[in-house]
Amino acid sequence: MSLTYATRRAAQKERVRILYRRALKDCLNWAVHRHLFYQDASELRERFEANKNVEDPDTIDRMISTGEAHYNKFRHPDPYIVPWAPGGSKFTRNPAPPTGIEIVYNYGREDND
Amino acid sequence: MALRAAILGHLRVPVQTLTQNGRALQSWNLLNLNRSMSSHDDHLDKQEVIDRVVSVVKSFPKVDPAKVTPEVHFQNDLGLDSLDTVEIVMALEEEFKLEIPDKEADKIDSCKLAVEYIANHPMSS
Repeated sequence: MSLTYATRRAAQKERVRILYRRALKDCLNWAVHRHLFYQDASELRERFEANKNVEDPDTIDRMISTGEAHYNKFRHPDPYIVPWAPGGSKFTRNPAPPTGIEIVYNYGREDND
Repeated sequence: MALRAAILGHLRVPVQTLTQNGRALQSWNLLNLNRSMSSHDDHLDKQEVIDRVVSVVKSFPKVDPAKVTPEVHFQNDLGLDSLDTVEIVMALEEEFKLEIPDKEADKIDSCKLAVEYIANHPMSS
């Protein structure tokens, strides 16, 4: 019983951490300037801290679900993506070949054909 | 047979090819400098990663900078909670221009793990 309780609490803690991480990134996406982000981030942190001492697992589950639904509702439509990552501005952008390497566009035909 | 052995014994590889190779290598390095528009940046060495991770952790407001070492555990040694750890990992992501998947970022809970992850990441810069 206590083991299942412990695993359930661990899973809840992980969900909360990931939710906080995504919400914090989303704050940064919505913030136009860095100083606006700091204010938003501390407000977000306060909302998480407000329910820090809730003990009942079912209540926690419900709160996490509410939080995730709220996060999904206000997610940024065009989030910042690190340039090399899929969807980023440098994704699959390859360097030019070094000098001395010639690309011959003969479409598979050799010289002696 | 004896003639062949004598010829082979007196053959010497010309030294010029070596210098040519050296020049080729140099131009390759120069080219790398000009490839800043490519998606692949140069790799970091481990000491630089350690220094930058430690400086990021030291500048976190709730952390006492005197306690920070490259081996420090965020929650056990620095007295932070799990949400602070999330914030530190996000700061590290911004410092090294990384995008760490959520499940992997969740596992990073100490300076040592962060350094290991970032030093082994091909895109950290």
